[in-house]
Amino acid sequence: MSGVPELVRVDSFGIVAIGGYVPMLRLDRQSAARELAWSGLPMPRAGMRAVADWDEDALTLAVEAARTLVGDVAPDALRFASTSAYFTDRAQSGMALDALGLPRTVRTSDAANSRRAGTTALLDALFGQRDEIVAAGEKRPTQPGSAAQLGFGDGAAAARTGANAPARLAGYASISHDLVDRYSSREHPTSYAYEERFVRDMAVAETLVPAVRDACTAAGIAPDRLAHVAVHEPVGACWRAVAKALGCRATNHCEAVSNAVGDLGAAHALFGLGLAFEAAEPGDFVLLVGFGSGADALVFEVSGPVPGADAMVRALKEGQVLASLSRFLSLTGSIDLDWGMRAEFEQKAQATVLERVGRDVIGFVGGRDSTGNVQFPKSAFPVNPALSQVENMEDVRLADLEATVVSVTADRLNFSPDPPFDFGLVQFENGARVLMEMVNRPAEGFRVGDRVRMRLRIKAQNSRLGFRTYFWKAAPIARPVLGEA
Amino acid sequence: MATGIRDKVAIVGMGCTRFGERWDVGADGLMVEAFLEALADAGIERSRIDAAWVGNALDDINVGNSALPAAHALRLDKVPVTRVENMCATGTEALRGAAYAVASGAVDIALAIGVEKLKDTGYGGLPLRTKGVQNDLWMPYGSAPGTFAQLAGAYAARHGIAAADLKRAMAHVSWKSHQNGALSPKAHLRNAVDMDKILNAPLIADPLGLFDCCGVSDGAAAAIVTTPEIARALGKADPVTIKAIQLSASNGWEMQFGAWDGASVPNTRAAAGRAYTEAGIRDPRAQIDMTEVHDCFSITELVIMEDLGLSDEGRAPSDILDGRYDRDGAIPCQLDGGLKCFGHPVGASGLRMAYEVYLQLQGRAGERQRYKVDFGLTHNLGGAPFNSVAAVAILGRLN
Repeated sequence: MSGVPELVRVDSFGIVAIGGYVPMLRLDRQSAARELAWSGLPMPRAGMRAVADWDEDALTLAVEAARTLVGDVAPDALRFASTSAYFTDRAQSGMALDALGLPRTVRTSDAANSRRAGTTALLDALFGQRDEIVAAGEKRPTQPGSAAQLGFGDGAAAARTGANAPARLAGYASISHDLVDRYSSREHPTSYAYEERFVRDMAVAETLVPAVRDACTAAGIAPDRLAHVAVHEPVGACWRAVAKALGCRATNHCEAVSNAVGDLGAAHALFGLGLAFEAAEPGDFVLLVGFGSGADALVFEVSGPVPGADAMVRALKEGQVLASLSRFLSLTGSIDLDWGMRAEFEQKAQATVLERVGRDVIGFVGGRDSTGNVQFPKSAFPVNPALSQVENMEDVRLADLEATVVSVTADRLNFSPDPPFDFGLVQFENGARVLMEMVNRPAEGFRVGDRVRMRLRIKAQNSRLGFRTYFWKAAPIARPVLGEA
Repeated sequence: MATGIRDKVAIVGMGCTRFGERWDVGADGLMVEAFLEALADAGIERSRIDAAWVGNALDDINVGNSALPAAHALRLDKVPVTRVENMCATGTEALRGAAYAVASGAVDIALAIGVEKLKDTGYGGLPLRTKGVQNDLWMPYGSAPGTFAQLAGAYAARHGIAAADLKRAMAHVSWKSHQNGALSPKAHLRNAVDMDKILNAPLIADPLGLFDCCGVSDGAAAAIVTTPEIARALGKADPVTIKAIQLSASNGWEMQFGAWDGASVPNTRAAAGRAYTEAGIRDPRAQIDMTEVHDCFSITELVIMEDLGLSDEGRAPSDILDGRYDRDGAIPCQLDGGLKCFGHPVGASGLRMAYEVYLQLQGRAGERQRYKVDFGLTHNLGGAPFNSVAAVAILGRLN
């Protein structure tokens, strides 16, 4: 299937803004592979992979990527895409909606079960020619010793579709092909990969070349007009073969993503698209290819800067090197440390409580009293000592505001999957003061007076019941630049 | 206008178990131990107890809800027994209930008993449980040292004191309590520790090291209270009386509203101010002879000295280093070793503090006895600095 809907051409419908998010920690593949050299197992050695904190998952990462796309006007729909979503019967898109502070009238849907889910969701949003946000996030489990453990990365990307877009959808093609290059399943949750030479030959010949060729045809251009591409390769060197076959010389920006943070699964092609947009000049054609059980190829015509693309380039340069391989193995669930009895406590959540206050929690919504002071959580009697009567408070979202650390400690007593447990009081300028956990600990630790921003994280994990809750945690405003620390 | 309870209630008997790792006994046995000592001290039979208040803070893991564990353990027969809980201020809360019952004329003789059996958890520190209520959705699961450690950074920021200087003053607090604990036969920790060891101990919650933190213990303490008239009839010529008991609880202001800088505990100030008024204390520094305060962590004791008005603002570190609160200082603090060394079975701690003041007021404190004690103050603090219940009691003699 290929083409371009008639209205798309008329309305310049396409991508109006793009966003990306990667966790702070980076594992250097060379040093990690060296630790496993005794095994003789083949490991990727170039570049780094992004490593999510224990309290990040596909949902939190996707929400962080989508945050910059929300703006003042709610979209018509919110689409979430991932192959590693935590819940199987609870819509991540619904939680993302509340976390982003969007109204319940926004349609939500989840796409899954293929790395192509991100581009498929985007293509569907573009077909509908509506104002939509597509957010893809991945934190895929991997097995120690597998190339995927070092090759994959955790991260997210998102795009907003709309009219008068600086990146107009010029044409597309979509091919379905049940090529089992790798898979994961309920009984094999980590990725099982087949032989690379077989995958490369089949993927290039059966899906990538035809999809790219047809998309270019639909866009009315020859493949050599493609200035930049973001092609999610199932294995290395696929794009080189496709480009050779089609007479194209464009750089594949997904290679830079793989090199800096790893293969981001359903978010990978979208992240590469951000880099391609940033590199593109007005008039350039940019190719996006999502791969998995077939391929989606989308050709965009760029007419100007795409908001958010520059931040995605910067995000790849920021982070903190994770020097401990055992910490990496613990963060990825590859080893199960004995944390002692303190780790045995049950972090239960109740549906009744979530129904009453869950939306205010995952959306970080406090209340403004009649004097203008804001507090979290809301209460019948305001905390403000100047007020003595019960009030109805006006909702105020705190998630997008900065704050200042009032008091803080690095707690080493209570259980945390990644100690120490930083927490303390933070003060918002609007009056709200909240006792919060802190994340992305700076090298020197948190200090009184530090400025912080809010990040969506897992609050409580109950592995026995297979449930988790989410809340916001305070993080430093800026991240260190890699190589400078 | 309320007149308070000054000298309306006498303490005629007290008991306190040895605190510590009491592998030998359960919560019921601890209560019996403290109760028997208190009965013998008062010189009365169990049947004279008209009502009882029992305090324990962590019902989930040890003693159990309601009046029944205490009523069963002590075989209190068909008398009103009330279980109270106010976090770490629970012990003083039990004493307050019993004292108010006597002061009101509702009963002649009442028992206050606090107990906690913490060493059955299998680890140090307090247990942590969540039930899925609203606060569990957002409030960090910080430890007790984690919450109190934050006093240190905030205090240093307010007063411009270097972290190393503050750490040294905090270390002196613990050093002093270890010196005193060594003289307390019933204390959990009875070893003196040198400053270097305290300063170089592993961190528990920055900047609190191991020796900046009290441990938790098993233990119980009890008081039998009555009217001064009945006390005299029981042969107590100059009985110990309660001069004041005051309590102050956070309404969320500290942790939800922007005005507090985190460097003091406002509830301690409120409770102390009211207690001084109730007791008729006009100049605490001159009139209070000793204190037993809630030194759950060294920084807590340091801040308490200012909150009680015993040190000027920002001067507690130098007062501490000058020895003002040492055993031979002007206003000794924790003569029995405090929470730090005597131990901290949460529900019993407020009554353990009263026990030491009670002994000191009667000249019965053995090696620890101060030459002059007319007024002693106890301070019991529950919760966290930003969300607390503070209790202050002042004891003296009737005449």
